[in-house]
Order: sequence, then C-alpha cells, then structure tokens
Amino acid sequence: MADSPEEIQKSIRKYLWIGGILIFFTVVTVGLSYVELPTHGLNILVGMIVATFKAALVALIFMHLNHERILIYKVLAFTTVFCLALFLLFIFSASDPLVFEGF
Amino acid sequence: MSAAATTHDHSHGADHAHDHHEPGFIGKYIFSSDHKVIGIQYAMSGLLFLLFGFFLMLLMRWSIAFPGQPVPGLAFMENLPFVGDIFHQMIGRWAPNGVVNGELYNMLGAMHGTIMVFLGIVPLGFAGFVNFVMPLQIGTIDMAFPRLNMWSFWLFFISGVMMLASFFVGTGSVQTGWTMYSPLASTTTLAVTNIWMHGHTWWLLAMVFNISASLLGSVNVITTVINLRARGMSWMRMPFFCWAMFVTAFLLLLAFPPLEVAALLQLVDRVFGASFFLPTGLIEGGQHLDIAGGGSPLLYQHLFWFLAHPEVYVLILPAFAILTEVIPANTRRPLWGYKSMVYAALTLGFLSFLVWAHHMYLTGMGTMMSTYFQITTVLISVPSVILLTGLMISLWGGSIRFTPQMLFASAFLPMFGIGGLTGLPLAFIFIDLALHDTYYVIGHFHYVVAPGTIFALFAGVYHWFPKATGRIMSDKLGKLHFWPSLLGMNLVFAPMFIQGMGGFHRRWYDGGAIFEQTSGVSNFWTELNSNLFGFFGMEVPNNLLGLNVLMSVGAFILALGQVPFILNVFLSIKGGKKVASDNPWNCTTLEWATPTPPPHGNFTFEPVAVRGPYEYSAPGIDQDFFPQWESEPGKAATAPASSSAAVAHH
Amino acid sequence: MDIPYTVSARPDTGLYNAKVGIWLFLASEVMLFGGLFSSYIFLRVGADYHWPVHELNVFLGFVNTLVLIASSVTVVMAWASLKLRQIGKFKLYMAITVLCAAIFMVNKAFEYKAKFEHYAVKLTDGTFLTGHLPQGYEIKFGDVSEVSVLIAGENKAVDGEPLKHFVPRVEGDLPAFKMTDGSSITLDQSGFTTLKEATLKAAREKLEEDRKKRREEGEALIEAGNIAAGKAKLDEAERMNIVPDTTIKLKPEQPVTVKVKPSQIFSYTANSLTFKDGTTLTGKLLDDSMVLEVDGVDTRSVPDAEKSLAWKSGLLGEPWKKAFIANRDHHLNAFEEKHGDRRDPKKSATLQKEAFFLKIKSATPDARDDAHGSSKSAAASAPADSHADTGHHGHHPVVHVDRKDIAFYSNYTPKLNTYYAIYFTLTGLHGLHVVAGAIVLFYFLVFDGRRLRENPEHLANRVEVGGLFWHFVDLVWIFLFPLLYLL
Repeated sequence: MADSPEEIQKSIRKYLWIGGILIFFTVVTVGLSYVELPTHGLNILVGMIVATFKAALVALIFMHLNHERILIYKVLAFTTVFCLALFLLFIFSASDPLVFEGF
Repeated sequence: MSAAATTHDHSHGADHAHDHHEPGFIGKYIFSSDHKVIGIQYAMSGLLFLLFGFFLMLLMRWSIAFPGQPVPGLAFMENLPFVGDIFHQMIGRWAPNGVVNGELYNMLGAMHGTIMVFLGIVPLGFAGFVNFVMPLQIGTIDMAFPRLNMWSFWLFFISGVMMLASFFVGTGSVQTGWTMYSPLASTTTLAVTNIWMHGHTWWLLAMVFNISASLLGSVNVITTVINLRARGMSWMRMPFFCWAMFVTAFLLLLAFPPLEVAALLQLVDRVFGASFFLPTGLIEGGQHLDIAGGGSPLLYQHLFWFLAHPEVYVLILPAFAILTEVIPANTRRPLWGYKSMVYAALTLGFLSFLVWAHHMYLTGMGTMMSTYFQITTVLISVPSVILLTGLMISLWGGSIRFTPQMLFASAFLPMFGIGGLTGLPLAFIFIDLALHDTYYVIGHFHYVVAPGTIFALFAGVYHWFPKATGRIMSDKLGKLHFWPSLLGMNLVFAPMFIQGMGGFHRRWYDGGAIFEQTSGVSNFWTELNSNLFGFFGMEVPNNLLGLNVLMSVGAFILALGQVPFILNVFLSIKGGKKVASDNPWNCTTLEWATPTPPPHGNFTFEPVAVRGPYEYSAPGIDQDFFPQWESEPGKAATAPASSSAAVAHH
Repeated sequence: MDIPYTVSARPDTGLYNAKVGIWLFLASEVMLFGGLFSSYIFLRVGADYHWPVHELNVFLGFVNTLVLIASSVTVVMAWASLKLRQIGKFKLYMAITVLCAAIFMVNKAFEYKAKFEHYAVKLTDGTFLTGHLPQGYEIKFGDVSEVSVLIAGENKAVDGEPLKHFVPRVEGDLPAFKMTDGSSITLDQSGFTTLKEATLKAAREKLEEDRKKRREEGEALIEAGNIAAGKAKLDEAERMNIVPDTTIKLKPEQPVTVKVKPSQIFSYTANSLTFKDGTTLTGKLLDDSMVLEVDGVDTRSVPDAEKSLAWKSGLLGEPWKKAFIANRDHHLNAFEEKHGDRRDPKKSATLQKEAFFLKIKSATPDARDDAHGSSKSAAASAPADSHADTGHHGHHPVVHVDRKDIAFYSNYTPKLNTYYAIYFTLTGLHGLHVVAGAIVLFYFLVFDGRRLRENPEHLANRVEVGGLFWHFVDLVWIFLFPLLYLL
C-alpha cells in the first residue's frame, strides 16, 4: 500500500498536478460547449467524455482507487452494473430502441 | 467455555471491569448502542407495527365483506375515555356513522401496505434479527459502528411516528395506495391551507427518514460481516443466516436510493409545484392544472419499482435466513446444499435488480424490453427454487422435533411454494395483462409475505427468544398460535386467486358490490356462499362476492390466533421455563456459545470457528451436534497465541 | 472493550471499518445520484419544450467548479500532511477546504436568488415573455358583498383562518361585519375566536341533540314493543360521531377591496374568490393584469413567430416585432452563409435560440444597442407608437399582460419546467452534501483535538474517510456543471 511516509511525500506533487489538470479541463469543457459541432448530441458526447475523464482522475488519484483493495472494487463493480441498469433500462423501456428482427 | 458458563441474569458488563462508566437505565435500554438492545427495540417496534397494520386490514376486510354496514366495536372504541379521542381523530372522524367509506378505505389500504412492508417486516425480519443474531453468529462483540446503529433505530422510530402522525393531520393519511403512483399521488387534495400539514407530505418525509435509517443499518451490517468475523470464521463457514442478511443488506443499500429519489421528486412536485411526474396538458376535474407539464408518470414507476422489486427479496431473504437456522436445529440434520444456497442467494440478489419492470407490463413498453424483463423474471425463479428445495430436502431423514418454531417453519415451505408458483404466471405478459391489479396479484404476494415471511418471523421469535430472555416460550400457547394462524391465513388468501381470476379489481372499497358477477350459476362456491351467508342470516348477493365473507371470517380467525402469541411473549418473559443451558436447542452456531442473555460484549472467551455451521449428526462423536466453536465435544477451541489479528480481547 | 479494526486494517481484507463503511455509503450515494441523473436523461429525452442551454450563469458555475476542485486538492493534502504528522499544514489545508465550501454555498445563494426574482410568462399561443415583476403580481377584487367562512367541525384539510388569509389582504381599514342574525362582529383575534368557539359549540350541541333525539325515539320504540327497530335507533345514536361543518356568512358594513397574489389563494372567477382556508368572497374582479418588465421574447414554440401574441398592441407592439424580424433574419442569413445547404437551420438549437429568442436590453427598439447594424435600421424606420412604457431602470420595456392572455407563468423555480425542477433538485441535494461534508470536516478540524494529540493515526483515518466523501461531492459536480450549465 502506498501509505508509507515516503510514498505520501511523493504523491503530494502528484495531487497538485492533478488539480492543475482538472482546472485545465474545466476550461476546455466550457470552451468546447460554445463550439457548435454538427449536432448538439455531439457536443453532449464530447462534454461527457471530458467530464468522465475528470471524474476518473478524481476517483483514481484523489480517492486512491488506483491502489485499493479488491473488496472495494467488487462493491463498486456491482454498483456500476446496477447504475447502468438505472440509466439504460429506464430509457430503453420508454423509447424501445431495441428491435428484434428475427433469426 | 459456553456449556459451563453460568446463566447471567441482568449481569450486563459484569465481566468488564475496564468499562469506564456503567450506563444508566436510559443508556442501557433506550439510547443504547448495544446491538442486542437495538435488535430487540427493532423487533418490538416491528411487531407492534405488524399488529397495527393487521388492524387496518381488519377494517378493510369488514368494509369489503359488509359494505355500508357500520363496523362493530368502532362506536365502543370511540366512546372509551382518553383512547377514544385518539381513536376518533385517527379513524373515527373519517367513518361517518361508523361506516368505512371510500376515503377511509383508501387510507387504510395505503397505510396497511406501507406499514407492513416498511415499518413491520423489514424492521422485524431484517433489522431486528440481524442486529440481535448476526454479530453473535460471526463471533464479535458488537456491530462495526455501534453509534450509527443507534441512530439507525432512532431515525426509523421518527419515521414510524411520522407515519402514524399522518393519520392525525387535517387531511388524514395518504390515499393513493402503497405505490403512490403519480400523477394521482402528485395531485390529490392539494387544496389545503398549508401543504406541509398534509398526510401525503408526512408520508414522503417519513419515507426519507426510513430510507436513511435502513441505509445506516445496511452499511453497518455489511461492514460488520466483512471486517469483524471471528478468527476461523471464513466466508464459507459463515452460517447461511449471515449470508442471507448480507445479501439483504446490499439490496437495501443499493435499491433504496432510487426510491428516495422518487420520494424527493414527488415532494418537489407537491410542495413546489414542479412537474416531474406530470405530463403536459393534465386535466383534473375538468380543469387544466396550473402546472408546466413535460414530466413523465412512467419515470415514477421506474424509480419506484427499481426499489420495490428488490424489496420483495428484502422481505423473503430474512425468512430464508431464519429457516436455515430453525430447520437444521429441529431436524438434527445438516442444511442440505449450503454452498448452492449461498450462491443462489447471491444470484437472487444480483438478478433482483434487473427485473423490476415486470410490474409495469401494462405501461406500454416495447416488445423487446418486455421480453427482456419476462426472461429475467423467469430466470430469478431458479435461485428461489434452489433455496426452497434446499430447505425441503433438509427435512429428509431428519428426526423432526415439532416445536412451535418448527411448525411455523414447516408451514412456511408449502405456503411459500404456493406464493412462488402463483407468481410464475404473472411473469408472462399475456397472462399478466389479464390478471394485473386483480385480487390474484394480492393473493400471490400475500402468500409470499404473510404465511411465508411472517411465519418465518414467528419461527425466529420462538427460536431466539430463549437467547434474549433466558426463558423458553410456552409450547402449548405456541401451538394454539400456530393452528388458527395457518387456517386463517389460507382462508383469507386462497379465495383471492379465485376472485382474481374472476376479474375482481384490487381497489374496490365495497368488495365489488357494484360489480355484478354472473348470477344464476350454481356451483360449489355458490353453495358454500349461500351456506355461509345463511349462517350469518344474510342473503347471497351473487356468485364470487360471497367469498368476501369467507375471507373476512378467515381474517378474524387469524386475529384471534394472534392472541396466544401476544400472551406468550409477555407471559414468558417472566414466567417461561428457564433454559437449562446456554444452548437449549443444541445448536451449532456461535450465538449459542454466549451466556444467556448475552452480556454487553457478548462472549466470555474469544470464539474461534473451527468448522462449518451445520454439523448435525456428524459421524464419530457421541452428541448429535458439533458446535462451530468446539475443537472436540464440550471443549472450546482456543486461539493460537501468535495471532495478532485477534478479536479484541477483554 | 473496543471494536476491532477502527485504527488498523484487518489483515485479510486490508481495510479498517470506516473505510469499508464509507465506500458502501458512497455506493449508495452513486445509486442516489444515479437515480437523479437517470431522471435527468428521462426528462430531457421526453421534453416537449426547448431544453435550456447556457441559460444559467456559466461564470458562477465555472467559479464554483474551480472552488470545488481546489478544495478537493486541499483535503487530500490535509490527509497527506496529517499522515506525515505536519500538524500545522494539516490545519491550514483543512481550513481552506471548509472555506471553499463556504464560498461555494455563497455563490449558490446568489445564483438561486437571481432565479427566484426572474419570471417567465407563457402566453396562450405558446410565446414566452421573460422578465421581472417590478410591482409583483396581484389581483384586485372589490365590491365584496359577502364573506363566507367555513368552520370545520372536525379537523379537516381546510379550516377557516380568515385572520391569516383574508384580513391581511384587505385594502384600507377593515369594517365591521354583520352576521345573518343581524348582530355585528369585528374580524380581529378575539372576535373571530369567540365566533369560532360559539360555532363549534353549537355544532357539537346539534350533534348531541340529534343523538339524544334518536336515543329517545329508540327508547320509545322499545317501550312500544318494537325492540329490534328501537335497538337499531339506539345503535345509530351511539355511532353518530362526526361534528358537522358550519359555513358562516358575513356581510361587510362598507364595501371591501382585497389585493392578493394568485399564489396565495385557491381559485377565483369574475365574481368570487376563494382563499386557501376556504374563505370565499362574493364581489367583482376589478383588475387582473400583470405588469412585466420584459427582458426576452421566446417564440420558438410558436408556429409563425411573426404572428406571436407578443407583437399585439398593448404588449410589445410593432416596433419590437420589426426588431425581432431584423434580428432573426440576420442570424438566419449568417447561418446560411456559413454552412450553406450542409446544415438544416431547424436542427441547430443554438441558431434557433439566437434567432427566435430575442433578448431585450433596452426600453425601446430605437435605443437597442445591438451589434448588428441591420436591426438598428429596421428599428429606426418604425414609428414610435409602441404601447410599451419605459421601464423604471430605463432599459426594459414594461408591458401590462392581461390575465386572459396568460396560459401559465412562474418565476424560475421548479414550477417553471422540468429543467428547472431537476436543476434545483440536483443542485439543492448536492448543496446539502456540500454543507454536510463541510460540517464533518470542520468538526475534525476544530473539535477532534484530543484525537489529534493522542491518536493521530485514527484522526488520519477519519480525515481520509471524510475526504473520500468530499471527493465524491466534487465528482458529482464534475458531471452536474456541464449537464446543467453548458450542454
């Protein structure tokens, strides 16, 4: 585990760097939102990709998910699956985009 | 070691000289952070709420069987000193001349569902039993976060009080069914002087408290199971009870938040006039509502059922948890298929998150999605069947002791089977389209939770009562409790299937008096009805309606059947037979290794699990049980001295 | 007797209790916000109006994002400092974190306040006028000839409280009222209390009298030998349990006029008005129009923007219509020049907004300080016959919108549309998390001194756990900011 004093000393620099990167990408998000891409859907997609990247940085570095115990990963994996169900199945059952064409 | 440990009565903390301060009465029994006290608090409140919810049901059943006729005893209750006024404010003021009208019936229905599910079974079955038994079974001194545990109970308590208080506010309680479907629930009786003093608002806030309580509870349970297991208590040596509760806690943890979202959004709809669940152009009473629209009633149903389907397993898994302790202990046989049952419970938990929309076949989903939900729904019956089969086969070749808990446990198996099997047709869209919202559905899920779960809970009370009090509940009263309950349950719920297939809708407050069934047909049921009605000196209204009377009679038999139980609980606390040892049922799991009742800190020695949890009738030893904590019969296993990962030694 | 693994990790799981607990709690939080984000998607996909983009204050949102990111860095630095036992740094970083939370909430308060004061009015043809209500919106109801007050016999949803609802809205002095029996009464605290008590007493007495009557009838029947019917009467008497409601009619001795906000009453028609407590006035609706300081006209939902109700005389009038057309054509032309046939102007949400949602920043079109020359010339050629008055601040036209032209109106609160509903719910709930997290961190900073001295490792665990929660709050905002403010 990276909890020894030397490791922590090293990671302080890392935290500052990540903070900088996060701020940079916030500016990027704001800027990109004013650029009109061919469809607004693309704008949303790009915005969400950047946001997911930022969120991943926070989760991996700040929340130490890059070196966590297997148990935490298990819990989070299940949560992610159920969360995806929450996102996808809601909208699928309302708009029914999946069509079965037959064998 | 346990067998030699003396039975402690009121000796909490006696062995723990380094306890800095001895808590007073309030600290010990009211605001206690001891898992056993909290478990008993939960269980007692759960039992009280079950009784209250049952009482609401009796009023409903009266109205269904004898619509328009005054409820007997209502006037008597109202004229009692003190209690009468409270009763009048709660129920009486809605019943003109003692007759249950539609308004009151709606309140009773909504509150019966809410109270039974969220304030009765979950607190008793999950919170009560898990708090009392689980830390003992895994061999630890308390839950991981004792103070949060106390908060959990008191948040639950607040939610229960608010739920009850909603009867007393000006508008009376909620009237829109336990599902609170919007838009109906977003718009009913908004015309009040103050929207915050509205039964519905109180219901929603109470749910927010309830959900917070179960969140704290489930975090606590999972953490305790993960981190506080005694030495040697590996995952696969854990009693199935803990496994089932572990899965249940995960269901509560991950399924409840979407319900919290639903409650919050409905609250915003009602209080701040938003339109989350209100479509554009909604008309009520011939008038356009003053709303923006653009929302979706369907969203509410998704959020609601995302919880409410896993909730079904929250109700059932504790029942299985209890039975897997009660049945092996009374058949003196190991639990059959422990591992497959563990994996079945895990699969059940996982799948239960992905099936919810089978409650929503009528909302006009596309065929592809309906098919998906149909498939997962049928799939989930597989692990359920594994669990039930495991229990049934555990009976095979056992020398069964028919103690009251075993009677309830053995009645559970067929009753739950009926409930489960009648659910299968509902999984299929074509059949569900016809049966949706009929009494068939009511019959199905009541068979699962009433003679199913509640019987298991009774079994649990009889089983662990000696551990909690040091006295055994009366066997005679227990049997007097069981047989009328079994009869009453079946009389109430079996006819529901027939009525449901006849097309009876679940929300008729007059039991379908307006619904003229086929008349002039003579069959077994009409004969039965005419006899029954004749018995009560009444005429037969028509064909299936007569079953209403039969069912209501069943409900009153069921009510009478609970009297011995209530007497039993209270009489046995002081007057029951004292237990001869700390392990009166000769069980194998760790909760029986503690003194009786367990003191603060639970164990007098450091427990070590040296074998699996169900070593009954093992070959090679004299006694027919081999406890988890004993290295050889009658001798507790000791921890190797080198271990630093010891459970805190005291 | 201590719970094991509060400070050190359990060897086989590698985790201390609180860490397992917080991750489970966060998993639950993921499902909570997952449900809300899922609702957001559901509502956005199903929206039957133009989903607002860049409508919130992007600058404030941007600043708040930076503040949260900064606090996320400081809280992890605080943990690292404590791990290295650099107590001074630890305290500094924690203080900055809590300060950041405070800045975030203050910004949020400004943002919310601006929303509450801003209104949108939907005209019957679907046009939206946005702006402020310099005088609020009140209706005037006069010539009141009768006030009927409902006194609920039982505790009901609606119980007459005219002192809270009717009396405060009366213009001028409150006259005395005449009851139906000719006696006079003043509607003040003591007067109404006396009236209410007397009424309730009478209602109860009436119930008792009816009861007694029935009982006597029953006894008479029993004496006469008709025992069954007599017993039925007695039972009936026993069950008479509900005190009836009473409606009291009061006539004012002088005519009364009330001024009241529609949100404070239950309903009204041309000749009656009902308050939320059920008090009903009979009289005449004198004035029912809204004075709106217009700062925008949104015609995106109107099939033909040139025929929008907004341009009728009495509202914005012809000159503003000309300005609107000029602005619209300018944007449409620019779009076509830029993209040619490659893109459908109807499918560009940005263009639709720029062309059909006219922002108004001046009192008259002539003074319109617009960068586009074309709109200026169009406005110049328009005769200045606009009915719109000049606003108080001089940079917005003020119009009187007749109630019959209004389909729906609201300030920018959850009521306005599902976007603002989800915006307030999401940010409100997120704000609650910020406050809760800040309180916990503040507690660790200020009130956990003993643990800091005696068991810094335990405090480090607590800070780590609090920090995990704080990062999660930041993580939610990382998604909230683009979804609500930008996209």
